Amino acid sequence: MIEVIGLSKKYGAKQVLKNIKIKFEEGIVCGIVGENGAGKTTLFRCIAGLEDYEGKIFSEINPLKNHLGFLQTEPYFFSKITGNEYLRLLCNARNKELKDIESKNIFDLPLNQYASTYSTGMKKKLALTAVLLQENNFFILDEPFNGVDIHSNIIITEIIHKLRELKKTVIISSHIFSTLSDNCDEIHLLKEGEFINKVTKGEFAKLESEMKEITIGDKIERLEIK
Amino acid sequence: MTNRKLNDFGIGPVIGYVLLTAGFIGLSVFLFYKTAFAEYIYITVALAFVSNLSEIKRNDFLKACFSDKKFKLLRISENLVVTIPFVCFLFFKQLLLSPVILIGISVLLGLTSFKTTLHFTVPTPFFKRPFEFSVGFRNTFYLFIISYLLTFFALFYDNFNLGVFALLLVIVIPFSYYVRPENDYFVWIFNSSSKQFLFHKIKTGLFFSSMLSLPIALVLGSSYPANVEVIFLSISLGYFFLITMILAKYASYPYEIGLPEVIIIVASVFFPPLLLAIIPYFFIKSTKRLTRILG
Repeated sequence: MIEVIGLSKKYGAKQVLKNIKIKFEEGIVCGIVGENGAGKTTLFRCIAGLEDYEGKIFSEINPLKNHLGFLQTEPYFFSKITGNEYLRLLCNARNKELKDIESKNIFDLPLNQYASTYSTGMKKKLALTAVLLQENNFFILDEPFNGVDIHSNIIITEIIHKLRELKKTVIISSHIFSTLSDNCDEIHLLKEGEFINKVTKGEFAKLESEMKEITIGDKIERLEIK
Repeated sequence: MTNRKLNDFGIGPVIGYVLLTAGFIGLSVFLFYKTAFAEYIYITVALAFVSNLSEIKRNDFLKACFSDKKFKLLRISENLVVTIPFVCFLFFKQLLLSPVILIGISVLLGLTSFKTTLHFTVPTPFFKRPFEFSVGFRNTFYLFIISYLLTFFALFYDNFNLGVFALLLVIVIPFSYYVRPENDYFVWIFNSSSKQFLFHKIKTGLFFSSMLSLPIALVLGSSYPANVEVIFLSISLGYFFLITMILAKYASYPYEIGLPEVIIIVASVFFPPLLLAIIPYFFIKSTKRLTRILG
């Protein structure tokens, strides 16, 4: 469980997160949805402890960061580190022994190549593999399906189901609504730094149509596509 | 770009250029005073700076912006701008051949993208604890080949000083692995306190540095037993400076090593006993900097 109480974050004069209050339960996959700039990544970085913030964040296991697998939107890779070494680095950092790496390479990544030469999707899969090998209790997956091929999409969906089964706390963000509706138990809508709506499984279709209505409006007509 | 970097350092460009010029002259005088190999070191350092400008992605960007003729002109000009201070000092030292060679190579490098992306993975002996040494070694492996060759020549021609130079080169190269701060994610992932993190980094750095330098030290020590204390002193000083570099990096983290740290390190080059005070100072500063991320 992770509980966020009164979380606010400012960059200079710009208020990015406004008094956020939310609880992420174990065994529940929680989706966060919002437009670009709504504050999703900032919220994740605050939960991870990578940003200073006002407010409180509690978790059942402390310190949270040592048990948190954080898959970033755009994972960073050093220019000359191989996939294999990246996995080892992340496991070493958590004192986890990396055993039987070949059988755990479920995305068939070229682990002896430099990770910086990987495609966007391959980088995402490598970073995801690394946070899974760390044996974390909490997971923040910031756009895990971004740039990933259809086959890996299916595998990632199954991984998320497995994490739920193992009673892990999982937070996901995605810009593709179907990936959230397929994987999440609840979805929270973040707008301009505030949660404005929360829906559970049975209400996902309603949320999607509401979002379409608000987002699209008359924008397509205004474009006058000819 | 240099102006921006100086501003990031927290000093105005004019003062920065004056300090850089003074520092350059001071280090050049010191180098030529200290070693007979200064001329070769000087050319190597100049070419290292010049080759940085030949990075392929940078040149691809410039090629996209300028016509072929203007691109070549720009590349040659910027290489010469970097080379001029070194050339001037070499002329000042009444050396004629080396500055001409330096200018020639700089012009040639301006016509080529020197640093191509390698499609094969350079193997390293550091796979158990990858990061600084794996990445750094792959960027500088050719310098280690040169160092080991120099050691061979030192033994072959019975030139102890050349051997010590090779040893110092192997000791100094890894300092560059700690110049740039890593993305905060790669500090955050560690489940250790800031002190444990720093000790881990130092331990790894010393172990891997020893793997690279001890073969030369042992060969030199067995060939020149009368000079063992010189070898021991070089290695020991190298260890102290490596620790200083690691701590200096995290003392400024998440920013690049600041001007105050650079001045302190340069001062310790001239007066190494300063390290005994600098290391604890940087350690305390690093601990404070890292506590925000590591807790």
